[in-house]
Amino acid sequence: MNPRERLAGLKRVFGKEDVRSLARRYFVANGFDGTLTSIGVVLGAYMGGNIDSGLAIIGIGLGAAIGLGTSGIWSVWEIERAETSRELLQLEAAMLTDLDDTQLTRDFRNEQIVLALAAATGPVIGIVVTLLPFLFEGMFLSLFQAVLLSIALGVLLLAGVGAYMGTISKQRWYVAAVRMGLAGLVVAVITVFLPG
Amino acid sequence: MARIRRVILDILKPHEPKIVPFTEQLSEPEDIQGVTSKLVDIEENVRRIRVTVEGEDIDMDTLEEQIMDLSGSIHSIDEVSCGERIVEDPWLVD
Repeated sequence: MNPRERLAGLKRVFGKEDVRSLARRYFVANGFDGTLTSIGVVLGAYMGGNIDSGLAIIGIGLGAAIGLGTSGIWSVWEIERAETSRELLQLEAAMLTDLDDTQLTRDFRNEQIVLALAAATGPVIGIVVTLLPFLFEGMFLSLFQAVLLSIALGVLLLAGVGAYMGTISKQRWYVAAVRMGLAGLVVAVITVFLPG
Repeated sequence: MARIRRVILDILKPHEPKIVPFTEQLSEPEDIQGVTSKLVDIEENVRRIRVTVEGEDIDMDTLEEQIMDLSGSIHSIDEVSCGERIVEDPWLVD
């Protein structure tokens, strides 16, 4: 399959509402994981006392991004592969025919790609956004200010996603935003009060 | 060889692709002038549809390949019209 056909296939499956809905779930669930992890990592690293530069925190955070991104892409790829294989076997049994190399199997593969990418980009975006203030540590911000800004960005990101989810589910967006954003504050408070 | 002008096929297909994109894609080749798909039966995993294809000179091999690529399986060829013009089934004409 050439790149143009692959792109057309990805565009076609992304047009399906069920694929978009599943991609949204993976993106939000893993993005939530990533953002909360990043808040915990940033605060934990800062309060550990041995970190004196923003770049060191960026290094730790990027390690978490690689871990969660890889986890998202790998686990969802395998989950979707198993699910689509099962579905394909059921269909082949119902149709009494081999469906290899048909539009259906190509769509299944493209769905796997879309969903795995959604699962990986969620946490990476969540972590990268919360790490951005540390790029300016030493220029415009002190390390403490960068930590505070990082937590604020994480909470805002969670609230933004909450508002979006509230809008698409026709609920009060600000309630959904507060509920999601609150999780970031809870992680921050727990990390601050951790023993040691 | 006489030109094939119309075929009516009984096809079994999964729910995906849906009947609209399925019919649209069948109508894309240049030798096809029009396609009509009619839902006959829905089961848990599959649907049976009756597809009527009309054209000036339908290439059956290409049509069958295209249906298979769309994950469809031809159960039977229910009607074929060949020649200079389409002769309607006299049993169906009032």
